[in-house]
Amino acid sequence: MTEYLIRRSLQSVLVLFLISILTFAMIHAAPGGPTQVLLAPGLSPEAAKIQAHNLGLDRSVPVQFLSWIGGMLQGDLGHTFKNNIPVGDILWPTVGHTMVLMIAAWLLSLIIAIPWGIYNSTREYGLSDQTSSFISYLGFAMPTFWFGIILQQYFALKRDWLPLSDMYDMDKQGNFGNLLLHLVLPVTVLSLGFLAAYVKYSRSSMLEVLNQDYIRTARAKGLTERKVVFRHALRNALIPIITILGLDLPILVGGAALTERVFNWPGMGRLFVDMAVAREYSVLMSITLVVSVFVVIGNLLADILYAVVDPRVQYGRGGGTAA
Amino acid sequence: MSDAKVLPPIPEENRYEPREKRAKARTVEARPEGPWKTGAKKFMRNPFAVAGLVLLLIFIGIALLAHWLAPYPPNKLDLMFPNLPAGSSGHLLGTDELGRDVFSRLLYSSRISLTVGFSVAFVSVIVGTLIGAISGYFGGWVDTIAMRIVDVMYSVPSLFLNILILAIFGAKASYMIWVLAFTSWMGVARLVRGNYLQLREMQYVEAAKAIGVSDWRIIFVHLLRNSSAPIIVTATLMVGGAILSESALSYLSLGIQPPSTSWGLMLSNAQASMLTDPMQALYPGLCILIVVLAVNFVGDGIRDALDPRKTTIPQRRLDQWRKRFSKSGI
Repeated sequence: MTEYLIRRSLQSVLVLFLISILTFAMIHAAPGGPTQVLLAPGLSPEAAKIQAHNLGLDRSVPVQFLSWIGGMLQGDLGHTFKNNIPVGDILWPTVGHTMVLMIAAWLLSLIIAIPWGIYNSTREYGLSDQTSSFISYLGFAMPTFWFGIILQQYFALKRDWLPLSDMYDMDKQGNFGNLLLHLVLPVTVLSLGFLAAYVKYSRSSMLEVLNQDYIRTARAKGLTERKVVFRHALRNALIPIITILGLDLPILVGGAALTERVFNWPGMGRLFVDMAVAREYSVLMSITLVVSVFVVIGNLLADILYAVVDPRVQYGRGGGTAA
Repeated sequence: MSDAKVLPPIPEENRYEPREKRAKARTVEARPEGPWKTGAKKFMRNPFAVAGLVLLLIFIGIALLAHWLAPYPPNKLDLMFPNLPAGSSGHLLGTDELGRDVFSRLLYSSRISLTVGFSVAFVSVIVGTLIGAISGYFGGWVDTIAMRIVDVMYSVPSLFLNILILAIFGAKASYMIWVLAFTSWMGVARLVRGNYLQLREMQYVEAAKAIGVSDWRIIFVHLLRNSSAPIIVTATLMVGGAILSESALSYLSLGIQPPSTSWGLMLSNAQASMLTDPMQALYPGLCILIVVLAVNFVGDGIRDALDPRKTTIPQRRLDQWRKRFSKSGI
C-alpha cells in the first residue's frame, strides 16, 4: 500500500512536470517566438530589447524554463504586462468565486442525483428512469451556454424574477441573500450537466451490485427490499460513485468557463477567457498550471480513495490507474 | 417375423443423395449473414437510431445545398430592417442586429459546424488509433511513453488548452480543427490500446506470426478489423462533442471569425443584442441541440447494433414478460 502510494504520487509529480513543459513549449512554439507573444505590441526595437532583457527572454530556453518553474513553485506567478500587476493578486480571488459557484452546483446535483439513481435502479425502465435518461440525453447534447442564455432571457429579462448576471448587485456587495439569488441561474445550468452524468453513474453502479449473488442471498433470507437496497447494495455501489466524484473534483475549479462567461461570474474561467482575448500569456500559463495541479491531485485522491475503500484493488505493478 | 421393428424413416439430412444434387443444394444455400449485415439490420430496427440518421442526413443535405436553399446570402446587410421578428415578410426567422437574414445564416452555419465536427472526429480517430495500436501491440517502453503523454493531455482541461492554443496562434477555422483534434485523440488511443492488449494474445495473431506476416500487417489489417466496431462508435460520438466544442469556442470569439458564420458565433451575437431581440438566441442553439442529439442517437444505435452480446428486445415485449412474471407469483 505504501509503495503504491509513493509510486502513484511520483507519477503525479512527473505528469505535472510534463504539463509545465507542454505549457512552456506552447508559448515558445508561437509564431515569432516568446518575444512576440510576451511583449506588448508596437514597441520600438530598442525598447523591445530592454523589455526582453527585463523579462529574461534573452537567456537560453532551459534557463528560462527553470526560472519560470522555480517562480511557480515559490508562488510567484509572474506579472501581467499591461499593468504589471502580480498574477496571483488577480488569480486567487477568482478561484474562490468559482468554488462558491461550483460547490453549490455540485452539492445540489449530488443531493438530487444519487437518490434518484438508486430509485431508478430499483425500477428499471420505469417512468422516472425514462425521464432521467431523457434529461441526460439533453444534458449531453445541449450547449450549456445556450441553456444559460435562454434561462437569462426568460427569468431575468422577460419576467425579472432573478438577476441577469454578476455575483452581487452593485449596492449589495457581500450580502448572502443577494448571492443566493445570483446563484440560482448559473447553478441550474451547471447542475443539469452534473445531474445528467451522476444519475447515470449511480443507477448503473447500483444495478451492477443488485445483480450480484450476495444480493440474491439476502433476498432469499427474507430480508425486506428496503434492507437489501440500503444495507447491502448501497454500500458497495457507493465505491465507484466516490471514485467518480474524485475525478470530477478539478471541474470544481475550472469547469465553468462558459457558464461564468454567460453570467458574468467573476471566476477563474471567465478570467481565463478575458485574458485569452487580451493576450495576457503569463496569466494564461499560470491558470493552466493551477487547474492542472487540481486535476492531478483530484486523480490521485480518487485512486487513493478507491484503494482505501475497496479492498479488492490490487496495488501490483501496472495497476496505477483504475482500468 | 411379426415383431420385426419398423425402422424409423431416415432423417432428411442423413439421406443419401446423388453428389450432383448435393452440390446443387449447397450452391442454393445462402451465405450466413456477416456481423456487419446483422448490425445494419439491428440498427434499422432501432427507431431512435434511424430517426437520428435521418435528421443527420437532412442536416448534411442542408449544408451541401445551403447556397441554393438560402433565400439571401449570409452576409447581406440590410441596415434598414434590423431585428425583424420571426415571420416578417421575406424573412422566415427575422433578421439580426445588422439586418442579415437569420434563416439563411442558420443554413450556412450548418456547413462550418458539420465540417468541423466530422474533420475533428476523422483526424483524432486516425491519430488515436495509430498511437493506441502501436502502444498496445508493442507494449514496453513505447507503451509507457505513449500512456504518459495521454495522462498529461488528460490532465489539462481541454477547453483551457484549446483557448490557450487559439489565443497564442490566432483564431482561425483551420487551426481550430487541428487544435480540437489535438485535444481529443486520447480517448480513442486508450480504447484501441486496451483492445490491442487483449487481441494480441489471440491465437490467430500467433498463427499469422508463424506464417511470417509482418507486425505492421498484423496491426493494421488483422487487429484493426477486429477492433473496428468500438472505434466507429467512438468516432461517431466524437462528432457531437466536436460540434459542441466548436460552438463554445466560436461563442468565446476564439473560433470561427466573421465574415464566416457558425451557430456558436450566432449565439455570441445574439447574446450581445438580447435586450433588443430576445428570440435570436433560440434558433442556433436548437440547431446545435438537434444535430448533436442526432449524432449521439446514431452513435448509440451503432454501438447496440455491433455489440453481439446485446440483442435488441422491444420494450413492449420486455414489459409483457415482466407482467407475466409478476403474475406467475414466483
